[in-house]
Amino acid sequence: MVFFDLGSSIDTGKKKEIEESYDVVIIGGGPAGMTAGVYSARGGLKTLIIEKASEGGQVVLTEEVENYPGFLKITGNDLSQRFSKQARHFGCDIISAEVRNVDVCCDNKFVILDDEKKIKTNVIIIATGASHKKLGVPGETRLNGRGVSYCAICDGAFFRDRHVAVIGGGNSAIEEALYLSQMVSKVTVVHRRDKLRADKIIQDRAFANPKIEFVWDSVISEIEGGNRVSSLSVENLKTGIKSKLDVDGVFIYIGLKPQTDLFKNMIQLTHEGFIIVDKDTLETSIPGIFAAGDVIEKEIRQIVNAAADGAIASSMAIKKYF
Amino acid sequence: MGLLKKNEQTIVKNRLAEGMKDPIKIVLFVSDKQEDCHYCNLTKEVIEEVANLSEGKIATETFLMSENKALAEKYGVEYVPGFTILDKNGDNRNVVFHGAPFGHEFATLLEIILVVSNGYETPVPDSVIKKIKEIKEPVKLQAFVTPTCPHCPQAVLTSHFFAMINPNIKSEMVEASEFPELSAKYGVSAVPQVVINDGAGIFVGAYPPENFYEEIMKTLGK
Repeated sequence: MVFFDLGSSIDTGKKKEIEESYDVVIIGGGPAGMTAGVYSARGGLKTLIIEKASEGGQVVLTEEVENYPGFLKITGNDLSQRFSKQARHFGCDIISAEVRNVDVCCDNKFVILDDEKKIKTNVIIIATGASHKKLGVPGETRLNGRGVSYCAICDGAFFRDRHVAVIGGGNSAIEEALYLSQMVSKVTVVHRRDKLRADKIIQDRAFANPKIEFVWDSVISEIEGGNRVSSLSVENLKTGIKSKLDVDGVFIYIGLKPQTDLFKNMIQLTHEGFIIVDKDTLETSIPGIFAAGDVIEKEIRQIVNAAADGAIASSMAIKKYF
Repeated sequence: MGLLKKNEQTIVKNRLAEGMKDPIKIVLFVSDKQEDCHYCNLTKEVIEEVANLSEGKIATETFLMSENKALAEKYGVEYVPGFTILDKNGDNRNVVFHGAPFGHEFATLLEIILVVSNGYETPVPDSVIKKIKEIKEPVKLQAFVTPTCPHCPQAVLTSHFFAMINPNIKSEMVEASEFPELSAKYGVSAVPQVVINDGAGIFVGAYPPENFYEEIMKTLGK
């Protein structure tokens, strides 16, 4: 399949040098961050969005999004390009950098970037999202990029006509299993429970797919291989029986790990590291710091409510501080 | 009937019309044997299509690799399809693409065309540009990608921008699925993967310019 990314999100005209101070600094350029940017810029605030990977956040890794209102079907990449285009359109500055530190001192807030640049701001909105959780089993780190992957659309091509495993039972896991089934010879989904968490419509597609097999009630205890992944140690939680599953690759989708290491000793977090916010205002335990999207403590993490969080955080920030 | 759809042609045409300043030239190396190079014809086709949408600002020239090895070597093109972009002075600043510019890498191609045409005005922050300019050792960067990888253009662009900034740096995009042997050599199975100085340094992921620079320094032992 040949397609062409026209790169509407890569904007040569973009300002590369940023200002020394902003009204609002948004950390994270996914749906929550970009939407926060739209609301904040439209509210007349000088707004900076900082994204460390590529603009769009995790959504860009989703091949097809079918549950964002207004789009019957849209690629994750296309949707996120639209988000960033909109944020730019209303005047947000967007830069590619990593935040090293956040300094809250005496009524002022500073965001320190990886090149030591210090940006002064009145309000910070944390929209750093979450990354894929690791299994935490032997072999996973050593074989990362050697058959262990967390991105099916990026790396699926390396496993053409091979046998791969997908670990997990939620929407991401099953969607990726379906995507991989287009190129690999066989996908074995290993899930710790006896039924899937994924949406019914996605489950039905997976069960009807002749290339997808399921191993239920099981977890991975080790990823094995010399230079490359060759097999998985699978343990059945009900019977205790261990077995070996020969695969060439393993795609891990077992949930999300919030990107909050930076805020550990600063903001109130849950046990798992999600940011605790006021449910109405999305303000964190520190006045003037808000949080939005997958990074906050909540039940449902979808693109649509990440975007909604961004709108709420910016609107409440405007109401309270400007 | 081109590879690009009508509406895509319009978008590309507008981007080039708005964004291009100086004329550029894309020099492509191909094999005359289709069986040696599955993507040579398609690459030629898409490059010529882009050139046709540029209102004369993009010239193209295609050479057979087998008969023009010296020229390919001059530009740092090692495999087919391989191409490079010459600025108005005929310089390519050691920026090379190995493989078809399809999928997300088409966005990379457009971006690089615009940057070359605008006298190498890159979006790399000045603080990083300063440090990149200070690198005295030869650095070879190979950014392995797949066309379906949305984070990959960021890795290729940063790599290419670094080469534009410092003549000691060479940068290549390598479309991993078209060059399986080269990919296997560095064990590429996750992209973007950047290989520094033939494997002396390797990292997986689209790093911001500052972190990318730090990886180069680590490889150089600094």
